Amino acid sequence: MKKNTQKLAAMVLAAAMLCTACGGKNTDAGGAVDTTAAAAQEEQKAQETAAAADGEKGDTAEGERARPAEKIKVGITVPYSGFVANLGENAVNGALLGIKMEGREEDMELLIEDTKCEAELAVTKCSKLKEQDGCLFIMGSVTGFEGDAQADWLKKNEDVIFMPSYSATQDMTMRDFSPNMIRAGWTADQVMFNFGEYIAKEVGYKKIISIGADYSYPWGQAAGFARGFMENGGEEIKYIWYPEGNLDFSSIMTQVSSMAGEYDAVFLNDGGSPIVAFWKAWEQYGLNNKFGQIIGGTNVADTNVLSEVSDGFVGVLSASFYSDGDENAANQAFRKAFIEEYGYEPDAVAVQSYDTIRCIIRGLDAVGWDISDPQAIIDGICALEVTDSPRGSFYFDEYHNAVQNVYVKEVVMTDEGTMANVIKETYEDVSQFGPYEDYKEQYMQFAEDARDYPYTTKDAYMEDLRKVMGDDYVDALEANGGWEH
Amino acid sequence: MAGISKNTALLKKVCLGTLAAVLLVIPLFSSDFTMTMIIRYMYYGLLTVSFGFLAGELGLFSLMTPVSLTLTGYTIGLCQTRFAIPFIPSIFLAFLISMSFAALCGWMANRSHGVSFLMLTLVFSQLVYSLALQWTSMTNGTTGLLGIRFPDAMEIFSTNTKVNHYYWTLIIFSLTILLVYLLIGSSYGLKLKGIKNSETRMAALGYHTGLLKWSAFMVSSFISSVAGVLFVYNTGMINPEIMTLNSSNQALISSILGGVNSVLLGSIVGTVINRTLELTLGSLTRRYATIVGALFLAIILLMPEGLISIVRKLAYGKNGTIQRAAADTGPDKRSASDDSHRGTADQSDQDPDPDGHHRSPGEEKGWEKGR
Repeated sequence: MKKNTQKLAAMVLAAAMLCTACGGKNTDAGGAVDTTAAAAQEEQKAQETAAAADGEKGDTAEGERARPAEKIKVGITVPYSGFVANLGENAVNGALLGIKMEGREEDMELLIEDTKCEAELAVTKCSKLKEQDGCLFIMGSVTGFEGDAQADWLKKNEDVIFMPSYSATQDMTMRDFSPNMIRAGWTADQVMFNFGEYIAKEVGYKKIISIGADYSYPWGQAAGFARGFMENGGEEIKYIWYPEGNLDFSSIMTQVSSMAGEYDAVFLNDGGSPIVAFWKAWEQYGLNNKFGQIIGGTNVADTNVLSEVSDGFVGVLSASFYSDGDENAANQAFRKAFIEEYGYEPDAVAVQSYDTIRCIIRGLDAVGWDISDPQAIIDGICALEVTDSPRGSFYFDEYHNAVQNVYVKEVVMTDEGTMANVIKETYEDVSQFGPYEDYKEQYMQFAEDARDYPYTTKDAYMEDLRKVMGDDYVDALEANGGWEH
Repeated sequence: MAGISKNTALLKKVCLGTLAAVLLVIPLFSSDFTMTMIIRYMYYGLLTVSFGFLAGELGLFSLMTPVSLTLTGYTIGLCQTRFAIPFIPSIFLAFLISMSFAALCGWMANRSHGVSFLMLTLVFSQLVYSLALQWTSMTNGTTGLLGIRFPDAMEIFSTNTKVNHYYWTLIIFSLTILLVYLLIGSSYGLKLKGIKNSETRMAALGYHTGLLKWSAFMVSSFISSVAGVLFVYNTGMINPEIMTLNSSNQALISSILGGVNSVLLGSIVGTVINRTLELTLGSLTRRYATIVGALFLAIILLMPEGLISIVRKLAYGKNGTIQRAAADTGPDKRSASDDSHRGTADQSDQDPDPDGHHRSPGEEKGWEKGR
């Protein structure tokens, strides 16, 4: 009798869990389902959009655009679980929207693989996409450590075209450059050089506490920030690192609290749910009264964070290659379409995967959707100059990373009572070398970004800089009081 | 009854032979991805066997099975990427380090039982995890070590890297499994099962139970270390992810899916199912974890002996419960082998059951009587 009850309970529970699973699929992966189902009725509209896109190129007549012999398979490996699951979802939705807005639902297929935010699985999924599904194009993952592992995998698999979804480790397209990797995105350092400069020069902070998750992406952000900050008048950065995915900030708050007065501000360097947890603790410990407003890394003032934090978040400065408040027409159209399709605000991840899939489509356009020569596609993509991206415009440097505008953004309260970012300052056409564009070779001689490198006191930093960049560079820097523009 | 056991033994040999033949010829006709999957089953399978050896043979649930894997992996990775130490010495060094650490942990952890053993092993694994995560100048933090390559000199089976990896992995995997198989069938294995059943009684019989438990811990760590070598050369990377609590849980889940009391077959079947679901279901639905969870729950409640019990039922007849089947084939023969041959290789070959269905209570009684 007891055994029967147990069995019954187990079945009920299992059924309930399965229902949850299915329910989840309908709402969360709805994008995939909807896109296919709505394909027929959207066809007319899609044709028009595509015609518009083709018209821009001016060499394909309407209705005669090139089509592949069979559907082109594009694999995408993203975390659907783990501490950045929301980024994975946004990456997929951005890519799906890109395919839809280019009207290529019938010519392209997006194969979605969950990496569970594990590097080993991310690599195995790449193997699966290539070896089993026969994908020529693979869009990589969203975190730095998965991206690094996939970049290593790519060295052994030179017959795929790999484009990261959001991984921003700079060496993927710099010191560890692979000819078949193209990043229509950003590097962690790229968007932070000028932000460090802005904080040191315009805001005038001298001493900063940097609090961040302890892995390669925040290290890169901190490194870029440190270079801009130290070379433009900053004096010291104090690093506090916590394990990735950490949600309990009480010990850090106590530590930071004791440093009030000594340091000017806190530079927060992470993304997603830890930011929300950090902000709660920050207000609970009353640190918002002891320090000025925090400044943030690229993902700190993302739209998904803004909807979760208190109004005290107004005034947070951050920097990115994309600003949700950008008023250009492409951005407005993109945001409108995204919200219509998925019911929430897109973020930089969605923008990058949207741009990535469109780069693939344009690259295919360049070879008439014939995938027999991958090198021609790579060349086609790298020669693109994308002018209708939500982020503005961008093109690729010789290491296949996007050269683009970097925006310093500030969180403001809109008339509707929600928070949004507005652009405070625009730095145009910033490459992954940032201000070191003329010193690429020297820049690559610096040690790799690490949790304790670049050095964080002015003297040690300058000594290291002098060693690598030479006396002339440092003397000019000191004479100018910072970078020249 | 004897007829049944003979048939089963024959059936087993035929199955094993077919499996071996299929595994050997797979590279000739299958896709690269099949090999990737099988290689993956093999290194994760060994990790589960490492867990299952302690859980099934001794009844000790360890959460630090991936520690030896990680230590081996990091040592090999560091030797190659940082210190340029050649292949063979780096393997020896890796085993030396991981086994030394296991010796120390085993010495401490084996002073406890049940939940406290579980907690102690969790502490040790978190210790190594934090070390790997935070000693970034050496381990490179979350990113870990990348670009670890199998030496070209070892490319003896095929010039195709994947095929070469496949055969090396298959050989090392098979040898390790054979070793565990022999250990389980030997008098040593029986002593461990004695401890699982009643440690005090074994102590009263004059066995040094502490030493036996420690040595079992070392065997488990050794299997995990072998898995580490396979892991690091096949994936080319090592990072702290592989030894998070989640990774230990995957070994536990695989083991329970297959059947925790079936050290070899259960562990491997469990791993194959768990890892296949991970790769295939993950592409179909993002709620794959929910489905695995439901499956896990159903198996715990409905089939406490794991999926392997289905195979048993098929092999020993519908009504042949595990106890009866075990009483037929396991204990008498086993105790005979224990007394007369002390687990020599050919004896174990004749042993009808590599996976210890003889662990049920009735059977344990049987062999104790036998002694």
